[in-house]
Amino acid sequence: MSITVESSPDGATKRTGQRVREALLGWAFLLPAMAIFVTFFYYPLYRLIDMSLHRENRFGTAAPYVGPSQLVDTLSGSDFLEGVKHSGLYMVYTVPLGILLGILLAVAANRRLKGIRVFQTIFSSTVATSVAVASVIFFTLVNPEVGYFKDVSWLSLSNPDTALFSVSLSSVWQNLGLTFIIVLASLQAIPTEVEEAAALDGYGPVRHFLRITVPLISPALMFLAVVLVVAALQAYAQIEVLTNGGPGTSTQTLLFKIADPQGIRPLGIRASMSIGLFALTAIVAAGQYALLSKRVHYGD
Amino acid sequence: MSGVTFDEVTKRFGDTTAVENMSLEVADGEFMVLLGPSGCGKSTALRMIAGLEEVSDGMLSIGNRVVNNIPPRERDIAMVFQSYALYPHMSVRKNIESPLVANRANRLPAGERSERIDEAAEVLGLTDYLDRKPGELSGGQRQRVALARAIVRRPEVFLMDEPLSNLDAKLRTQTRLELVELHRRLRTTFVYVTHDQVEAMTMADRIAIINDGHVQQVGRPQEVYDRPANLFVARFIGSPPMNTISGTVGTSGTGGNVATEAGVVAVAELSGSRAGDEVVLGVRPEYLKPRDPSKDDPGAGGLRARVENIEMLGHERHLLTRVGNEVMVARLDPALPPPSIGDEVVLEADAANVYLFDPSTTERLGSGTSTPTATVVADG
Repeated sequence: MSITVESSPDGATKRTGQRVREALLGWAFLLPAMAIFVTFFYYPLYRLIDMSLHRENRFGTAAPYVGPSQLVDTLSGSDFLEGVKHSGLYMVYTVPLGILLGILLAVAANRRLKGIRVFQTIFSSTVATSVAVASVIFFTLVNPEVGYFKDVSWLSLSNPDTALFSVSLSSVWQNLGLTFIIVLASLQAIPTEVEEAAALDGYGPVRHFLRITVPLISPALMFLAVVLVVAALQAYAQIEVLTNGGPGTSTQTLLFKIADPQGIRPLGIRASMSIGLFALTAIVAAGQYALLSKRVHYGD
Repeated sequence: MSGVTFDEVTKRFGDTTAVENMSLEVADGEFMVLLGPSGCGKSTALRMIAGLEEVSDGMLSIGNRVVNNIPPRERDIAMVFQSYALYPHMSVRKNIESPLVANRANRLPAGERSERIDEAAEVLGLTDYLDRKPGELSGGQRQRVALARAIVRRPEVFLMDEPLSNLDAKLRTQTRLELVELHRRLRTTFVYVTHDQVEAMTMADRIAIINDGHVQQVGRPQEVYDRPANLFVARFIGSPPMNTISGTVGTSGTGGNVATEAGVVAVAELSGSRAGDEVVLGVRPEYLKPRDPSKDDPGAGGLRARVENIEMLGHERHLLTRVGNEVMVARLDPALPPPSIGDEVVLEADAANVYLFDPSTTERLGSGTSTPTATVVADG
């Protein structure tokens, strides 16, 4: 086999026609990706910023330019800050608990036992359930009138102090399937010989898990931390189905306020909040990366 | 230090028996190689010593202690795996230190730990790599880290499961030497599993040849080469392996002969077989050579063969021939002019170095008593 490289006799004075053709070909290759990014990312982002600079009137018929004042007012206003607080709490409630439960289930199911596949299937089933359906199922459990857990005070949806936590539990449950599958897959990717070497070295079960297993599945845990944080910041359907933001505003996360199903906030304010959410997501992701990436070990 | 004793040990996985009624004594300080083809049960035997597999039946002891029900970490053994099994997230130093800190109850003081690590690193030439991660090391270096992790705990027994299989040929030869030196220095019991008979022959004090879950023969390398107990051992030890062909015993003069489909072979020692007995005749390639065509004597016997290929190895030539339905290999002196491919030749076997095997039991006739080889094996 041989590879021949065709080079023009004088590379420096390549004919202009050929250069133009190559450039056009390059752009043609870029076009599909560009089209998608422009349509679904860059243009919406431009529109979002544009909207945040205009203030709609009450009827949505006119939107004069107001400059960045609306953005500044919104991001320092109590409505936005309450949204940040609720979204932050939602994150704190769902991410660590979700990862912990996923690890527990995966460790329990990572055995060579008869019928273990049945449990593996059950544990991962929430992946195939839509958020709306899962929320309705969860609602039958916590429904204040007829739910099985209607007397469990810390699960109450009608108490402003517990409603957000209760809703977040439905998220934990819904994400569990994904967490379980990812952790189980990475547990099963640990070479048997490494496990055996650890057993011979003398690690007991707890130290084995903390010193050997956790570092070896750390890339999966990092991935889950990022995915679950994004999921927490984007949670919407479960809130709408379970509490519709109430009681009062106690379950209004930032995203809920932006989506604004009751239509309270003008477009310009929601656009400003979106920019705030964008910034918040970027900050959290950067923080996570800085904090965790040094502890994550990616193979060899 | 202590030896390892298998007393009629059996290991079953469901319906399959991996090791059956195995009895084997590994002496204190001995370098024992378990040799056999893949799937023969040698690794299972090793893993039973480690405690990674349970013993189904029989008794397994390390030193004077029966270890059937003792967990791996309390057996005072160290194991080196084929894939090295290093902890990828730990530095070389942490990897080597691991067996010393894994069990909190019998952890050594930090000073002694680092002394032992430095010593092991020194022995294996890893001093400059202690702060690296395994991923930054070559295959040979990783294998040495695995060895260092094993020696740092000063175990009663070293277990090695094909530790050289992932290394390239040159490194394998070098590491082989290092392992032998390590054994000489430590004087600890080594149990070493391999399918490579060269590794077994070059390193072992004694070899246990295993097939189908049974020990076929245990002996010093030269012993199993010169006095194979049965056809399996005869064909497994030696490269190229021993040539075999079936025939019928006849007598003539002082010795005897074996008539095969391709001709008659003179045999110096009939090893108890009588005229008319069916036998399998075996002869090693170095004792088989084509007869000089100029001295051809139709009455002299020999095996009619056709040359199929000639392999040049520099210091010797292997003549691959077809004899009846068998392929037979003769080892030739490269100084002599070789026949050409396709030539008809007559192969002569050295009558004093012909082995006879019982075709039904596959045992070598006269095994244990007489030695067909002219050379006497020196002990030690």
